[in-house]
Amino acid sequence: MATMTMIKALNTGLRHILEEDDKALIMGEDVGRLGGVFRVTDALQKDFGAERVIDTPLSESGIIGTAIGLALRGYRPICEIQFDGFVYPAFDQLVSQLAKIPNRSGGRVRLPVVVRIPYGGGIGAIEHHSESPEAYFAHTAGLKVVTCADPSDAYWMIRQAAASEDPVIFFEPKRRYHAKAEVDTAAASLGLHEARVARTGTTATLIAYGPTVDVALNAAAAAAEEGLELEVVDLRSLSPIDWEPLEASLRKTGRAIVVHEAQGTLGMGSELAARLSERCFYSLEAPVLRVTGYDVPYPASRLEDDYLPNLDRVLDAVDRSLEY
Amino acid sequence: MGQQITFNLPDLGEGLTEGEVAAWLVEPGGEVKLNQPFVEVETAKALVEVPSPYDGTLAEHHASAGETLDVGAPLATFEVAGAGPEEPSGDKRTPNLVGYGAKESGAKRRRRRREAGAASAAPSVPEVTPPAPASPPVPEPPAPAAPAGPALAKPPVRKLAKDLGVDLRQVTPTGPNGTVSRADVEAASAGRAPASAQGERSGVAAEERLPIKGVRKLTAQNMVASAFTAPHATVFLTCDVTGMMTTLAELKDRPEFADVKVSPLLLVAKAVLLACRRHPMINASWDEAAGEIVVKRDVNLGIAAATPRGLVVPNIKAAQDLGLVELAEAMGELVRTAREGKTPPADMAGGTFSITNVGVFGMDTGTPILPPGESAILVFGAVRPQPWVHEGEIAVRQITTLGLSFDHRLVDGELGSRFLADVGAFLEDPGTALLAWT
Amino acid sequence: MGSVDRPRPAKKTAKSRRKSASANEPEFVQLLTPEGQRRSHPDYDVNFTDEEYRGLYRDLVITRELDAQGTALQRQGQLGLWPSLLGQEAAQVGSGRALAPQDTVFPAYRELGVQWCRGLDVISAFSLFRGVDLGGRDTVADRFQMYEIVIASQTLHAAGYAMGVAKDGAVGGEDGEAVIVYHGDGATAEGDFNEALVWAGVFNAPLVFFCQNNQYAISEPNARQFRVPPYQRAGGFGMPGTRVDGNDVLASYAVTKAALDRARTGEGPSLVEAFTYRMQPHTTSDDATRYRDEAELDYWRAKDPILRYRSWLEAESLADADYFAAVDQEAAAEVRELRQRVMDLPDPDVTEMFDAVYVDPPAPLRAERAEAVAFRASLDEGSES
Repeated sequence: MATMTMIKALNTGLRHILEEDDKALIMGEDVGRLGGVFRVTDALQKDFGAERVIDTPLSESGIIGTAIGLALRGYRPICEIQFDGFVYPAFDQLVSQLAKIPNRSGGRVRLPVVVRIPYGGGIGAIEHHSESPEAYFAHTAGLKVVTCADPSDAYWMIRQAAASEDPVIFFEPKRRYHAKAEVDTAAASLGLHEARVARTGTTATLIAYGPTVDVALNAAAAAAEEGLELEVVDLRSLSPIDWEPLEASLRKTGRAIVVHEAQGTLGMGSELAARLSERCFYSLEAPVLRVTGYDVPYPASRLEDDYLPNLDRVLDAVDRSLEY
Repeated sequence: MGQQITFNLPDLGEGLTEGEVAAWLVEPGGEVKLNQPFVEVETAKALVEVPSPYDGTLAEHHASAGETLDVGAPLATFEVAGAGPEEPSGDKRTPNLVGYGAKESGAKRRRRRREAGAASAAPSVPEVTPPAPASPPVPEPPAPAAPAGPALAKPPVRKLAKDLGVDLRQVTPTGPNGTVSRADVEAASAGRAPASAQGERSGVAAEERLPIKGVRKLTAQNMVASAFTAPHATVFLTCDVTGMMTTLAELKDRPEFADVKVSPLLLVAKAVLLACRRHPMINASWDEAAGEIVVKRDVNLGIAAATPRGLVVPNIKAAQDLGLVELAEAMGELVRTAREGKTPPADMAGGTFSITNVGVFGMDTGTPILPPGESAILVFGAVRPQPWVHEGEIAVRQITTLGLSFDHRLVDGELGSRFLADVGAFLEDPGTALLAWT
Repeated sequence: MGSVDRPRPAKKTAKSRRKSASANEPEFVQLLTPEGQRRSHPDYDVNFTDEEYRGLYRDLVITRELDAQGTALQRQGQLGLWPSLLGQEAAQVGSGRALAPQDTVFPAYRELGVQWCRGLDVISAFSLFRGVDLGGRDTVADRFQMYEIVIASQTLHAAGYAMGVAKDGAVGGEDGEAVIVYHGDGATAEGDFNEALVWAGVFNAPLVFFCQNNQYAISEPNARQFRVPPYQRAGGFGMPGTRVDGNDVLASYAVTKAALDRARTGEGPSLVEAFTYRMQPHTTSDDATRYRDEAELDYWRAKDPILRYRSWLEAESLADADYFAAVDQEAAAEVRELRQRVMDLPDPDVTEMFDAVYVDPPAPLRAERAEAVAFRASLDEGSES
């Protein structure tokens, strides 16, 4: 057991992966000598060498495309896309190739590639550094998509992702990089694609993932002072979604509010609302509500507090839900 | 003996839909080898040799030289020794650069198999293991008995229950999958056992007994004490509050009011407070035991609130001293706290004048019962657009009816009327009233 | 022998004037002229046994015949489409035979000739274009990757794979592994291609970029894809580039072999541009008359790779009429067997849509699979759709 930041948890997880699997590689821009712009890969090149921790050309499509080639050769690359907004040049390699090659091969070829992407806003950044592109990839058959919300999940989920035989897109909420928590490196508590009930309650269910889990928990704490007991579910896996705990929660509370930073239209909330409405129709006291980023490009940093879902907007949504 | 196979004019690789037979290269009865060109077909662009798909004999031409055929139409018949290879399917698809081309969409629904015990009418558990084809997943697990836990009902039924004041959890469900049906709710509301589709539900009680306790008990005691001690009389005033609604809209736009709820009730409260100042005897109570009428300095303004646990009337102490913004904040806080059941006892005691808002329930007015120790209670009803005489002409104005119930031991009809008239005058033209009275 | 459809004479002659017979020949490595004359080159030569020389002819003819079958089968409704390699046989056979057994091939989607030369079953190309599967194969055992339809995408995969080869320490000496990636002239404009050159160069990957410059990317000529030919662009990325007469099987062999040997011994990547011509349209539903004319086709017919090679074999008495006839018979037999196998390919079961998406299929997908199977099973067979 140790208290560590999410960055340290990821770093430790990556270190353990490299120690335990000779075929594991880390590749990305500035991951080697610099240790990554967020220091997630700090000291790994020093300890494991430049053959295993590779500073790549500034070429996102190249990072994913060559990772595919390396995986075809038997390696297990863990790629880093430096920032969410820069994943797009690699989009074709991700959705036309990484997602499809195993299927194309009729199951003969495996691509155990992990693509780590720091994502989300709330860090006062310039354009393109605060995106939430997870829906594009959760929509793509053949990929698995996960996101950690705290240091403990960061440690375990990166290890589990590296062990997966399927390609995994691993979203890291950068505004939570410096959050600290206890991490038990002895045993994982959950599987990679399981959701977690982070707080139990009866009034309504908040469904969140990545950076908004913290928002949801804070909202629940504030709501408790008003006599409302909110249940908070951390989705953890965006593809596949772990529907069972969500449905059980909704059957108990009758009300769901999804919270995500990504723009509302056609975001993860849309799928959650549609599927939960279908599967829990008779349990619903109110429609599934969504508290999300507005349908605008992520704004200039001095407006981001208005853009991002916050505690007040979440509680307003809870109020609205209760009015039904 | 060989097999006769008819070969249709294929697409010639250019997305064209017809071709002209230019010249036959093999006559009927002539032998052909596989892939040997047997006919030349001319398209708008090119003269194309068509390779024979078979080894055998070209038995018959289906078009003469110079004749134009559609793609897919019979071109020639071959006689092939033994079982010939498969004919390509009769799909009339026009190939494109990247594939077979689009199929024509049919407008006929495919027939379903009828098998004993085939695809489900019965709901099944959603999770299915891959090898066995199973019936499609259904949203809810089956629960013919009344389920433990929250009631299951679809949204329109929930709304009906809410509107009828039926608690879904108390209703025995007879709908599919253990849900409460519309009929169940209607029957529960009418107090009858529902006529169930399955016909086997009896045993719903003719009456239900609920213990008298908590807020209900206290409210009842207060109502009885008040109603049968203070002689109640009520005066009503219907007035044109268009002015108030206009003022409200203007207030809402002001930055001071950005963070508070600005509603008609706020201005009604303000009207009451001003009127109390003009008619201090309204803010008094009858102390039978001491033989005194107690005139109070502060207006501790009570607002009746319906909460999940029952009716409560928390009050704002010394409300007359609050500015409008502060009053709005205090009212908002009071209602919030009351809804959560967290009103402190101090706030429940010491009220001197109360307002009850029946407008939220859509009522026009009423005859409220005084909270104990208070001598007057204002009932505020719905504000509705109605025809009115305004400046000598019929116009549609925002109209409401105010009612004032009062303790006739210390408040006469004249006082009650003058008080209510002042409230009405303020609501009709808040700005002028304020200037005139302060 | 496969033949090219002969269009009727063009009514308009404007286009015909574009390409005159005296157009300048490009600079490239050539060991065999279009007329079948052997030439020498200071850097490249081929010294085969008689048997090996004859073997190349057999490869060229069988490649041509298998490819012609693709076109025929499409015309007979058995395939959705077919991208013909007619005219490019020498580039593919020459390079294909230069590969060592331990080398790995990353094809695009027109490399039937390379597949044949590697001794692989070509049925996978046909099942792909018939639409019964997506071209899956045992890429590890075959050392031949799947056909790639996204243009240039495979160049990055090949670069990464070659980096892996180097990582494995499999580079160096005659036994070293080389990787070859096939692509076209159009691919050289794609971002992925340029990134692949960056990576291959920066990491000194044992990779040969084999560009079949067949003069067209569907309808667009070279002038739309580059100002400077691919073989010269290679230098900008820090690797040698060589242009070879792609209709000359001997030169194609020699240049590719040299490039592969560079790679396998650790000298790094290079690019070979095979200058050739796509005699057929892009695929069977393309109308090439919209963008090129008969004069151009005639020009290239005169450079046919098989005619020149056969002429040379005959002139050198390396093969006789009996040999040529035997090759034709063998080709016919291959074709006959292939045709039957293609038509016997079973339509896929609906479950095949689901079973290879993931190594570990998640619960929602398993449920969907069951739904799809149940739906299919509930339909009356033979009813109209």
